[in-house]
Amino acid sequence: MNNNHQIGRIAAFCCNYTASVATDTLREAGLIPESLDVKKLPCTGRIEVRVLLDAFEQGAEAVFVAGCRADECHNLSGSRRAEKRVGYTKKLLKELGIDPDRIEMFFVHYGETQPVVEAVREMTARISKLERLHST
Amino acid sequence: MVEAGRSPNIEILTNARLETLEGEPGQFAAGVHQEPRFIDDDKCTACGTCTMYCPRPVVDLYNERLNITRAPHIDYVQAIPSSYYIDPKACLRINYETCNLCAQTCTAQAIDFSQKPRELSLDIGAVVLAPGFGRTDQSVLEKYGYRRFLDVVTSIEFERLTCSSGPTEGHIVRFSDKKTPKKIAFLQCVGSRDETCGNGYCSTVCCMYAIKEASVAKEHNADLDIALFFMDVRTQGKGFDAARELAETKYGLRVIRARIPRVDQVDGQLALTWTTDDGKSSSELFDMVVLSEGLNAPKDAKAIAEIAGIELNHYGFCKTSVDSPLVASRDGVYVAGAFQGPKDIPESVTQASGVAAMASELLSEARNTRTVTISYPEEDKSIESEGPQIGVFICHCGSNIAGVVDVNAVRDYAGTLPGVVFSKDTLYSCSQDALKGIADKIKENRLNRVVIAACSPRTHEPLFQETLKSIGLNPALIEMANIRDQCSWVHSQEPKAATEKAKDVVRMAVAKAGLLEPLEQTTVDVLPTALVIGGGAAGMTAALSIADQGFECVLVEQSDQLGGNLRRLVWTMDGKKASKVLDDLIKRMDGHPRVRVMLQAQMEAVSGYVGNFTSSIVQGEQTVVVDHGVIVIATGGCEYSPKSYQYGKNNRVITQLELEASLAKGKGVLKNVKNVVMIQCVGSRGEDMSHCSRLCCTQAIKNALKLKEIKPNLRIYCLYRDMRTYGFSEDLFREARKKGVIFIRYQPDRRPEVIEKDRKIKVRVFDRLLKDEIDISACLVVLSVGIAPGDNEALAKIIKTPLTPEGFFLEAHVKLRPVELASEGIYFCGLAHGPKCLDESIAQAKAAAAKAAIPLAKGKASVAPIVSRVNKDVCIGCGICESLCPFNAIRLTKVNKRRKAETITASCKGCGICASHCPTLAISMGGFTDEAIIAQIHAFAGEKCV
Repeated sequence: MNNNHQIGRIAAFCCNYTASVATDTLREAGLIPESLDVKKLPCTGRIEVRVLLDAFEQGAEAVFVAGCRADECHNLSGSRRAEKRVGYTKKLLKELGIDPDRIEMFFVHYGETQPVVEAVREMTARISKLERLHST
Repeated sequence: MVEAGRSPNIEILTNARLETLEGEPGQFAAGVHQEPRFIDDDKCTACGTCTMYCPRPVVDLYNERLNITRAPHIDYVQAIPSSYYIDPKACLRINYETCNLCAQTCTAQAIDFSQKPRELSLDIGAVVLAPGFGRTDQSVLEKYGYRRFLDVVTSIEFERLTCSSGPTEGHIVRFSDKKTPKKIAFLQCVGSRDETCGNGYCSTVCCMYAIKEASVAKEHNADLDIALFFMDVRTQGKGFDAARELAETKYGLRVIRARIPRVDQVDGQLALTWTTDDGKSSSELFDMVVLSEGLNAPKDAKAIAEIAGIELNHYGFCKTSVDSPLVASRDGVYVAGAFQGPKDIPESVTQASGVAAMASELLSEARNTRTVTISYPEEDKSIESEGPQIGVFICHCGSNIAGVVDVNAVRDYAGTLPGVVFSKDTLYSCSQDALKGIADKIKENRLNRVVIAACSPRTHEPLFQETLKSIGLNPALIEMANIRDQCSWVHSQEPKAATEKAKDVVRMAVAKAGLLEPLEQTTVDVLPTALVIGGGAAGMTAALSIADQGFECVLVEQSDQLGGNLRRLVWTMDGKKASKVLDDLIKRMDGHPRVRVMLQAQMEAVSGYVGNFTSSIVQGEQTVVVDHGVIVIATGGCEYSPKSYQYGKNNRVITQLELEASLAKGKGVLKNVKNVVMIQCVGSRGEDMSHCSRLCCTQAIKNALKLKEIKPNLRIYCLYRDMRTYGFSEDLFREARKKGVIFIRYQPDRRPEVIEKDRKIKVRVFDRLLKDEIDISACLVVLSVGIAPGDNEALAKIIKTPLTPEGFFLEAHVKLRPVELASEGIYFCGLAHGPKCLDESIAQAKAAAAKAAIPLAKGKASVAPIVSRVNKDVCIGCGICESLCPFNAIRLTKVNKRRKAETITASCKGCGICASHCPTLAISMGGFTDEAIIAQIHAFAGEKCV
């Protein structure tokens, strides 16, 4: 993760429960790259396909959504809804000729930060194998 | 502990449990089941060979499973009995009839596999329950990631890590990667103040022990960053607040007021997220998280309760009441320590002495019917009079000394010093087997002067003196060199210099030892009468206990009636009428044949010493002289009278006690009252007095609940710094919140203000959440004023004893001798000791009575042998010594028409002022002669000693 600046931006959408530890704390400790944008939503169920596509348009090389485990969502079906929208976005990306691996849904156990950090690593690994979407 | 192990009148049954308890007070029959140790503790020398040879590893439970030991082991070196025992579950010989290695290697032939479980029937008079506390449930710890994350540890595991004889020899390491952590967080109230796990009470001790553990860790590694997460900082014990503040500034501990809900792990680091009371939320990563686990009821509390026939409270602790805190619900069964409720060491030791008094009251008729006394061999004057044969014993104190000081080098060096014929190092010289070893070496080598280079003579000299006595040597022939406190502790960062200093200290001690002379130990008869000063709850309780134990008691009270502060109290914490407690005490005082009460009387002067005090008591116009053996000080304290908050200027501003008094008269005081504001810490914790007054938080809550009971729609605000409703009082705090009492925390630098405008009162306080000042209009302002010390200074001067900086009496040892003054034969209790609640005062009064009864019951007291002696041939009778003696222990007499000074041995405290001022050097101090001190100084400069 030393070449942060060379790796494109990643946009993450988390909810209140999947982003309990402040991003700054994790960034200071070097656990997540500078280039990660964390957007906090009350619940991932709030996500719209437009918002996800917008993230790509705004310069993200990859986008992921970290929602609560399906059976643990504070708002019952929020994270399952988000999963569906991520699935639909994958389809749209494919149609646009963009690798659908650039977007992913992750389910995280209530309040655990490790899986979120793992998700960032996973997405970083994916985009490092792909060509850049946006010129620097 | 060693003392208990040495007493011939204490029989210790280990591996034993109470099975039945029948009979009645004074005549119980207790059925006890005892499992075998498989090692005979009379034969075991605690050499450790069995552990070395045993092939069977077992987890070391004493070290919190952090270590491996073997089937035969001892928990720790100072354990009593100082004998090993075999874990029967792991032993191959016991389970499979194989192995038997330990038995073959034990040279003392102490291993005995023929031992069988025993059923004992004990014929006893009273029962004391002291099973201690239980551990926090695993499920509670797991909520904080314990077990899931290796670097989340309990405070008791952490304690073992910081212990120099623990599994890591005092190094703090992470269990995950064995690395030294840089950042540590302490989470308070784990398993305490938590209704979700059934523990609604406060465990009382965790705040202070967390601060202690953090300080120890910082002492070991100054670069550590330690954060402690508190809800309220409850350091209400005597001197605790001062100790905490010192630790916070000295070690830079970060105190954060927040409750951590959970612990998360990211890449091996532990992530904590919290919100403080100003609404700010934060998160941080730590290398290690310590869970300050609370004190639970003992695991087998229910079984104990059933067998002993006693009741438990709703948390499973022993049920007691405020007016008799040491009494279980069955007559003749008493309780002490954490089983009565979570408490710290001084409180537990106090209660332990208290129950001794209770048992002694019950069994006073049977006193001395079964006691055994130790007799010492005759002193061997021939060895003593030989030229000095000095033996030096250097203690490792585990790694306490040896971790810093090169003990072997000091030992070899000591061997080269003149006069030293023997030198040896020992692992723990105070352990029972080591003491025996020392005694053997003294005899073998015909040593007649002994130097122990170990810890402080203040705590351990009597122990080594005892060892000398046991082999027929005069106890004055010992000298201690304190190479722990003065070398390894203070110079822990410089081992080389510490070793050199240890050599210097030993050389000086050897020089002095060469000139030590045997001193005569005199005993004096004790008058079986106690003088109790102060007639409040503590004083009356102490007096009654002493009288019930069979001794005469004179109680001196300065006012015209008994009762003290108890008279002003209306309700006790458990809702009883305080007047009933008071009336009961006074009734018993009046009817007691051995209690004499002197009202409107004050002690003016006292002379004498333990066993033979003479006091002059001024009562009205006349002065009465009272002879007595011991003194109990129970002079109490007083309600602090504030100068601020409009107190005294506006009659709507009153104190908690004034509120109680007016409520007792009727509800009139609440007429037209809608809002009540209570202000905590008025005068306490740095306002006028530096100490925490301990009881005001609970008192305020008690009164708030009473107000709510009388007038449920009353609005009550309580402005506080930390709510210190420790122990079971936490229940009351929770109830108050449930009933709608509003609690607002204020900062010490922004204390609330009482503002009077147009005959109306407003209380202005800064609210941290709103970040603004709020004005609360108050119909009544109740100030929780603290406890100020009484007029202790005058009395302290009369009996010549030091006070704490706060003005309370100073105990001889905070933890081990909490009710004794440094001067022998003087004990103290109640508010004279420091602020405390009624139940604690009563328990402490019992403790003081127990301690006071020791010399009374023995009938003899020994006088410290270190006294001044006048050489009458050299004395010129100038009288300087007489005028200077602070204890009136020197008088001038005529010998052959010439004035000569003479020491009153029994009054002499051995301070040495007379000796240092004598112009003709006629006075010498036993144990501290001029020659010995000068030899010591010469030795310091490195000159030849002896």
